[in-house]
Amino acid sequence: MGKQRLLLALILGLAIGAIVIISTIPTRLGLDLRGGTQLTLQVETTDKIPTITDQDLEAVQRVISDRVNELGVSETSVQQLGQNQLLVQLPGVSNPEQAQRVLGETAQLEFRAQSPGTEQQFQIENQILQQHQLELLALQQQADVDSQTLLESATNSDDATDSDAELEQQIQSVQSAIQESNRAIRDLFADADLTGQALTDAYAQPRQSGNLWEVAIAFDSSGAGKFAELSRNIAGTGRSLGIFLDNRLISAPTVDVQYAETGITGGRATISGSFDADSASDLAIQLRGGALPLPVAVVETRTVGPTLGQDSIRRSLYAAIVGLILVLIFMAVYYRLPGVLADVALVVYALLTLAAFNVFGVTLTLPGIAGFILSIGMAVDANVLIFERTREELRSGKTLYRSVESGFYRAFSSILDSNVTTLIACAALFWFGAGLVKGFALTLAIGVVISLFTAVTCSRTLLLVSLGLPQFRKPALFCPGLSPAPAKP
Amino acid sequence: MKLDIIRQRSFWWLISSLVILAGLIGMIISWQQFSAPLRPGLDFVGGTRIQVTRDCSAANCDAPIDLATVRSLLADEDLETAVIQVTGDEGQSLSIRTRNLDVDEESTLRASLESEIGPLDNRSIQIDSVGPLIGQQLFASGLLALIVAFAGIVIYLSVRFQLDYALLAIVALLHDVVVTLGLFAWLGLLLEVEVNSLFIVALLTIVGFSVNDTVVIYDRIRENIKLHPERHINDLVDDGVNQTLTRSINTTLTTVLPLVAIVLFGGETLKFFALALIAGFIAGAYSSIFIASTLLAWWRVKSGKAVAGLTEVPQPAEELP
Repeated sequence: MGKQRLLLALILGLAIGAIVIISTIPTRLGLDLRGGTQLTLQVETTDKIPTITDQDLEAVQRVISDRVNELGVSETSVQQLGQNQLLVQLPGVSNPEQAQRVLGETAQLEFRAQSPGTEQQFQIENQILQQHQLELLALQQQADVDSQTLLESATNSDDATDSDAELEQQIQSVQSAIQESNRAIRDLFADADLTGQALTDAYAQPRQSGNLWEVAIAFDSSGAGKFAELSRNIAGTGRSLGIFLDNRLISAPTVDVQYAETGITGGRATISGSFDADSASDLAIQLRGGALPLPVAVVETRTVGPTLGQDSIRRSLYAAIVGLILVLIFMAVYYRLPGVLADVALVVYALLTLAAFNVFGVTLTLPGIAGFILSIGMAVDANVLIFERTREELRSGKTLYRSVESGFYRAFSSILDSNVTTLIACAALFWFGAGLVKGFALTLAIGVVISLFTAVTCSRTLLLVSLGLPQFRKPALFCPGLSPAPAKP
Repeated sequence: MKLDIIRQRSFWWLISSLVILAGLIGMIISWQQFSAPLRPGLDFVGGTRIQVTRDCSAANCDAPIDLATVRSLLADEDLETAVIQVTGDEGQSLSIRTRNLDVDEESTLRASLESEIGPLDNRSIQIDSVGPLIGQQLFASGLLALIVAFAGIVIYLSVRFQLDYALLAIVALLHDVVVTLGLFAWLGLLLEVEVNSLFIVALLTIVGFSVNDTVVIYDRIRENIKLHPERHINDLVDDGVNQTLTRSINTTLTTVLPLVAIVLFGGETLKFFALALIAGFIAGAYSSIFIASTLLAWWRVKSGKAVAGLTEVPQPAEELP
């Protein structure tokens, strides 16, 4: 019995832990539930680049991420999808026109020379830009806090609308101020007729001394000449060579005075500064992305308005709760005492599963909710198997305690085999399926694993502990209509 | 209640054959109409669907949205082939499905809708724009997942049970998938229900659950064979099915209950998803009880293994109990 008590304490502890997790870590909602736009971008091949490598896709992803950040939407994400696609998520955006325009363009990388006499203005403009970027960050954090309360406000959604719109307007204006700054900075630099097309490579490498890193770049033959000229013009002047990606300054190195005669020749150069390994490779990826002349096409756009999403949450929540209650009632009425205990196990199951979603950062979408509701059915199945088996044993004349034990023991191979086959199917869906299918497979798999624990260990412990209490030790509580009590418990 | 399934098996097989046949006929008719076995939704054929609701705090909502106005507006944009539906309780919502629109076309359409029928509520808008290749990718990846899942299940069941169990479980599973496909072929023909990517998710789920059901019954039959290797497979299968019958019914009931809740109260998008699952699960319970079990008995008799004790252990010395 001591072991059962211990398990009981463990289950209680897990349930309390789950409640704490559910109330502290917010559930991540998919765009179909919170509203927003999801775009699928396809990176297309060209005659020059017939296949897209992982590196190419990573570089394009970096460029797209920069553009998405420019949109001023909070909590965006850009993920790789298969070999040549990117999935962009823009929460809260219900008019994707701007995004569709901006994202579906080929990257533009330019090398420009700072014009003489603009040193001071360059500094000022840079400060203004940084100021704006900090403002934007603060506004976005505020928006994040607002959106986290979305689930709670799903029932009275109109209150939040006004402050939301105000915030959105503020973000918009800071956004355009940033674009203004970027344009102003670009105007300080003169065109040098050198673009990303001439760039053949860019990679991060450690510097020969110290533990700093640098970025090495290489140009093709036509680019090498232009780069030599460009670098000669600004060498030793203190003015910068501006590298612009999609009209935004990403690096502004100066050129050492020793190159004032010839410029940097040979088509190779390194950009050094206070780079660590991460920031150096980040710049290298940006440069590579800008050098790729890969067209990007928007192949899929899905927009869900925020009220529509809230409506789906509300309805699905109602459905889930009603479904769960029906199942609980059925179990208690049909299986009596074990049914009630299984209900307790089922509630523990629901808590643990929801907590697991939050801990693993599972994004809950409509199919995900469906997967969860469905896994409740699976969790019940294990208990149904066990209790049916227990009844059979009781009918064959075994004692109550033995019947319960062998009910669990004998049903276990069925439960194991049926759950493992479901997990195999989930694994296949997760690895090969597309977005929707993946989310569904993940929630179902988490549910199945947790249900193995709650339906077997949890309900078994509860049953055995109750059997320790004399008032529960009645076979009629387990199997109504059992012909004359076969043996003393 | 005790089912005599082995003796009645031609009857159960006939029912399944008729249902599948009806489904296949539905799919053939669909094929002639849509060049696909089911009515394909936006996800599979590509296109743009715009669903908007008029903002009644700013617009005049006394009358429902006028279909003719919208139709002439679409004709001006060269979109005569668009499918237009006025929806919602008061006819204040509009659903337009067209070929795949690019950014400019889409924003022009939105602008002219706003000017003709009044301001639209940005918060309840839904736009889906799907390129023609997305559907193929979805279908291909779904099919691949399905084949891998089949292979995995066959391997696992061959190890835990035997190869014939594994293959017959797959037959039962295909039965459930085909029944669900048939139902939706007819729903597409009669009620214009389209299948979308969620339908693929539903089919894959049915696969998982159908095997689950079958495995539980096979597990019981396997146990019975072990306990009574001298008895005929027909009796053992009959016993196994009857011993697990209450469980099969109760589990199907508890799984279908929440799904019924979704059909009744859930959002529009999930309704047909849940309906597909209900159909698949009921077919799954049926096929596990009546098809998978009888097929196993039939196969064992046919391959001369009707009594396990005589064939599995060839040496008579080890056969003694």
